[in-house]
Amino acid sequence: MKGTLHTHLLSILVVAGAFALILAATGGGTDPEAEARRRLVAPFLELEFFDAGDPLHRALLKETLRLYYPSSEEKIDSLLQAIDAYRQEQFVSETEKTGAEALGWTSRKVARLIPMYLQFTVIYGIVLLLTLYGAQTLGTYRFILDRRGTPPLLRAYWRRVAAALPTRNLLRIAAAVFGNLPLLGLALLKGFAYAILFAPAYVIAYSLKTRFDTDSYLFMIVLGVVSNGMVITYANKFYLYLIHESRKGYVETAIVKNLARTFQWGVPGGIPRRAVFRIRKHFGGHVLQHIYENARFQYIPALKEQATFLVTGLIIIEMALNIQGHFCYEMLQNILRTDYTVVAGMLLAIFVLVKATDILVDLWYEREARRYGHPELDQ
Amino acid sequence: MTPYRFDIRIRHNRRTLVEIEAFHLPKGKVTFLLGESGIGKSLSAKALFGLLETEEFDARIDGQPYADHRRSPLAERFLREGFFVFQEPSTHLNPLMRLEDQISEGSLAGAPARAAILAQLWQESRPGEIQSLLEVYPKANRPSGGEKQRILCAMAFLKMELAARHGAADPLFVFDEPTGNLDNRYRDIVLEEILRHFRQFRPTVLLITHDYSMISWVTRQHGDILESINFTELSLEEGRGKLREFQPRTYLGWLSSRQPVRSGREAPEGHATILRVESGISVYGRTLGFSRTPGGEGCPLALRRSSMAYLKAPSGTGKTTIVKIMMGLVRGRNLRMQLGSGILSEATPRRLWQERIWGKRMTMVFQHADEALNLRSRVREVFEGLPLPESRTAEAIGAELLQFFGGSIPRGFLDQEVGTLSGGQKQRLNLLRSLLLDADVLILDEPLNGLDFTSMQRVLELLERKVKEGRALLLISHNEEIFDALVAPENIYYLSASFPE
Amino acid sequence: MNARRSPSGRWLANEEYRWALLWLGGLALLWIWNTLYLNPPALAQLEQAFVNTLIGAAAVVVMTLLLGWSVGTGLYFLESRGRRMVSLGLTFALNLLRSVPQMVGILAGYIILTILIQREVLQSPALQVLWMAFTVTAFTFLELADVIRERIDFYRRSDFFDAMLCCGIRESRIVNIEILWKNSVAHVLQKLIAVFGMAIFLQCSIDFIISVGLSREVSLSNFPVTLGGLLATLDSKQDILAISTFFTNPAYLLRLATTHLQGISVAFAIVFTLLCVYKVSNGIVRRYRL
Repeated sequence: MKGTLHTHLLSILVVAGAFALILAATGGGTDPEAEARRRLVAPFLELEFFDAGDPLHRALLKETLRLYYPSSEEKIDSLLQAIDAYRQEQFVSETEKTGAEALGWTSRKVARLIPMYLQFTVIYGIVLLLTLYGAQTLGTYRFILDRRGTPPLLRAYWRRVAAALPTRNLLRIAAAVFGNLPLLGLALLKGFAYAILFAPAYVIAYSLKTRFDTDSYLFMIVLGVVSNGMVITYANKFYLYLIHESRKGYVETAIVKNLARTFQWGVPGGIPRRAVFRIRKHFGGHVLQHIYENARFQYIPALKEQATFLVTGLIIIEMALNIQGHFCYEMLQNILRTDYTVVAGMLLAIFVLVKATDILVDLWYEREARRYGHPELDQ
Repeated sequence: MTPYRFDIRIRHNRRTLVEIEAFHLPKGKVTFLLGESGIGKSLSAKALFGLLETEEFDARIDGQPYADHRRSPLAERFLREGFFVFQEPSTHLNPLMRLEDQISEGSLAGAPARAAILAQLWQESRPGEIQSLLEVYPKANRPSGGEKQRILCAMAFLKMELAARHGAADPLFVFDEPTGNLDNRYRDIVLEEILRHFRQFRPTVLLITHDYSMISWVTRQHGDILESINFTELSLEEGRGKLREFQPRTYLGWLSSRQPVRSGREAPEGHATILRVESGISVYGRTLGFSRTPGGEGCPLALRRSSMAYLKAPSGTGKTTIVKIMMGLVRGRNLRMQLGSGILSEATPRRLWQERIWGKRMTMVFQHADEALNLRSRVREVFEGLPLPESRTAEAIGAELLQFFGGSIPRGFLDQEVGTLSGGQKQRLNLLRSLLLDADVLILDEPLNGLDFTSMQRVLELLERKVKEGRALLLISHNEEIFDALVAPENIYYLSASFPE
Repeated sequence: MNARRSPSGRWLANEEYRWALLWLGGLALLWIWNTLYLNPPALAQLEQAFVNTLIGAAAVVVMTLLLGWSVGTGLYFLESRGRRMVSLGLTFALNLLRSVPQMVGILAGYIILTILIQREVLQSPALQVLWMAFTVTAFTFLELADVIRERIDFYRRSDFFDAMLCCGIRESRIVNIEILWKNSVAHVLQKLIAVFGMAIFLQCSIDFIISVGLSREVSLSNFPVTLGGLLATLDSKQDILAISTFFTNPAYLLRLATTHLQGISVAFAIVFTLLCVYKVSNGIVRRYRL
């Protein structure tokens, strides 16, 4: 365990170093031209009696400089141009953004970003746990349905209609077509649900923007769990783990020991529906208990992958929806302002968050493995 | 009592896996079901118990669709009153559950005599050893393969007691390869327990095995109940399974007429030592050594041309490990090996093994043909990529195949996918691939694994021929009685492991 | 590894082919509908965006295959030849890459792209697309490398590897032909299809974000337009916003389908493609029992 901890910490250091190197190599992203210009212009702008906004003052400055430096006509012109350009920059940035902030890390910026970062962390944590629960529950539900062998909705509908067709009895056919409409309705609902589950977050958010307050935390959390294919991908992954485990030998042994093996709902020897939706699922006396326990244990390392993908999803949500006062929105603003030092710091902060999750998941896996007397710990 | 009689047909992906007419099972008797592996013995037994998945297999028992058979009173009775001990114990125990919980869940919860049954299976154990074993979560090495097998058998015996208590009539107990590749000590214990419980309760027992030496043991130890013991052999004839009675004397007679394999005057190079390995190799925390008598003083292993040597040791000692070291697959400290005129040690680089030795001077045949062969290759592709001498043209390979497979290969055999062959055919292919190479030394790990009686004879004939051609063979096998008869006493070695303090 | 074919045996009845056909069919229907109801310039732009997205995703798939295969097998050969230091270092670097969230990496790649454009290094649009595709590849190829490594290790654990080595078969042949080509094509294919879907998702997302932010540094009129960028244009956004009126006024559906077509087509194309990719990938897993 110590070894993995050290590896994790080392990777944080390496990434921080890499960021620093890249920034140094690319000049920090602050426009060197603008920087040079500012340095050139600054002493003039600091003169108390000089008002750069007044054209008379600017003309007087030009004349004064010409007097003292008669042979530097070009330099004087370029200086005045620089003053103009600088003023224009300031004007533009003032009217556009929340105020012309100095580039780079300032204590004010840090004070502003830290609560946003904490907020991001909390939302991230909530969505991660909800998705874990959703993945396990939906995956198990799907596994049970799969075992029962219920045919897909559209095929079931077609089968019933096709069964009535040969009778050539119009009444029977009509009854089959319309009486089974609920199946079609369910299929439509299922298609709709798929559309939501697979849609990227911004598509859903914009569709609902005029109806709901898309800036609320609740909406963000729900969006984080449901969209971007998040919960469905991991529910599918969990389902595959269940399938994989159900093919193993100990399931046969359990059957031969006469554990319950039907996957019908609510019948004795079947599975109570409520058990699937609990947080700590337990299917006593059923072969599913063996399968579920093993799948759950195997799935824990996949949580790391889930966390990585979740961060991707949250970044997309916060950036694409332009939600003010959120961490990733700030990051986008800084990118557009080409304030890359700050962006590097923010990316590093996100990386640290993911790494912290990795460490916690490894610790959790270790604890579970120890409970089961895992081979690596023995001998 | 009328015996059980089933017509079994199992298909998978439109391919018929098993088709047996008249699968007989006399009630209240022990039936040994012999035959080569992979022809459907286990699958048929599982089908009877209703264990197959309907989506995967299209099975019919007595013409009934499988879903109906699973619901039938007969299948339900088999499951309720009987038990099935499966073939690979390592995957048949839940790794996340303590052994004591696994041995007392489900219908085994009410079984009374748990401690007594376990004590009989672990006769040599110290007090408390069984209890500490039960508190373990099953892992790869602990409990060992033999112990896992005994746990599963214990479950079966508990069920037998329960069935007797509830007055069940003719419960069916299936033991699928209950001794696996374990050495004779464990095999004897397990068989003894099965037959002892049989004597007590008289259920119907089906024991699936490919170990013909059980015949000797049973006729010797339990000769008095021979009329309650039945030997049958399942063989494939034109794709159909045929169940025939197997006379013990067929095997016993053959066995008693075996002579040690000795090279005749045809051997070109005489009896030069081709391979010599010194004792005292350390690996995995133990030191391995050879001796001429069990537990005797150490001596080097010396393989001579035109000879067949046999390496014996209790299971778990490290026979497979030592031959892997000899093949350069595993690094063993203190390896001092002389092959022909070259010296090999742990410092020999892998490149040298790959370029000069593997497939050219030494080769090894592994015991599980399913793993050793690429199941997705065609039969002809198995021989591609081998460092064969130029003299082995495609025709020569075809001729060898023909001879090996008994003078008749079905058309299109060469283009068949290896995964579709029977277990015995795969094992023979596995052997042939190595036998075609020009290697001086052949190491064979369980060469008779999964073969039926006829195939076994053919393989032994082929091995004998290779010996006469001048090769040196080293064998590992749990078929002790066969190889004790076939290998000259001066060529039998014992392996022992010692643990440093 | 026998494929589970449907009882009737017709390949059409297999899930993955069905969904692939459904995808093509759905897109064809969308295109026909658009030729009827969408104005030609917008349709041309839509087609161009769709093609660009597909090309970008295809580039990612090809690069992932090359990079993933070489890293997966390369790392194995490094370890087996005993170059421990190099393989440890490489493994550490790869693990690092693995824990970087994809979006973080792609944003960093985008930042580097803007810097390079500023410095006038990458001017041609094709190279820019290739660079973004490479950035996406950098954060997905490890999944393929993992799959390949897992397959190799699976056969390493059994006697497969050793038996072939002992027969004198070369190690490179065992790894590349026997294990990967003959026994792992379904695994690799399934992973590549998933990567295709992921590439579309990530590319559309980053384009959407950047377009929405109205970046001035990278004038996206140079950068080839993709579905994500198209979605961020004012017209499309208005179309999507109009979807919410459907909830209060279901009869609006017809108007939605005929006038707000640009945004809805783009959204539909993205969501439908992701759904079909998922189903095809799943179908392969089920059929080959991966």
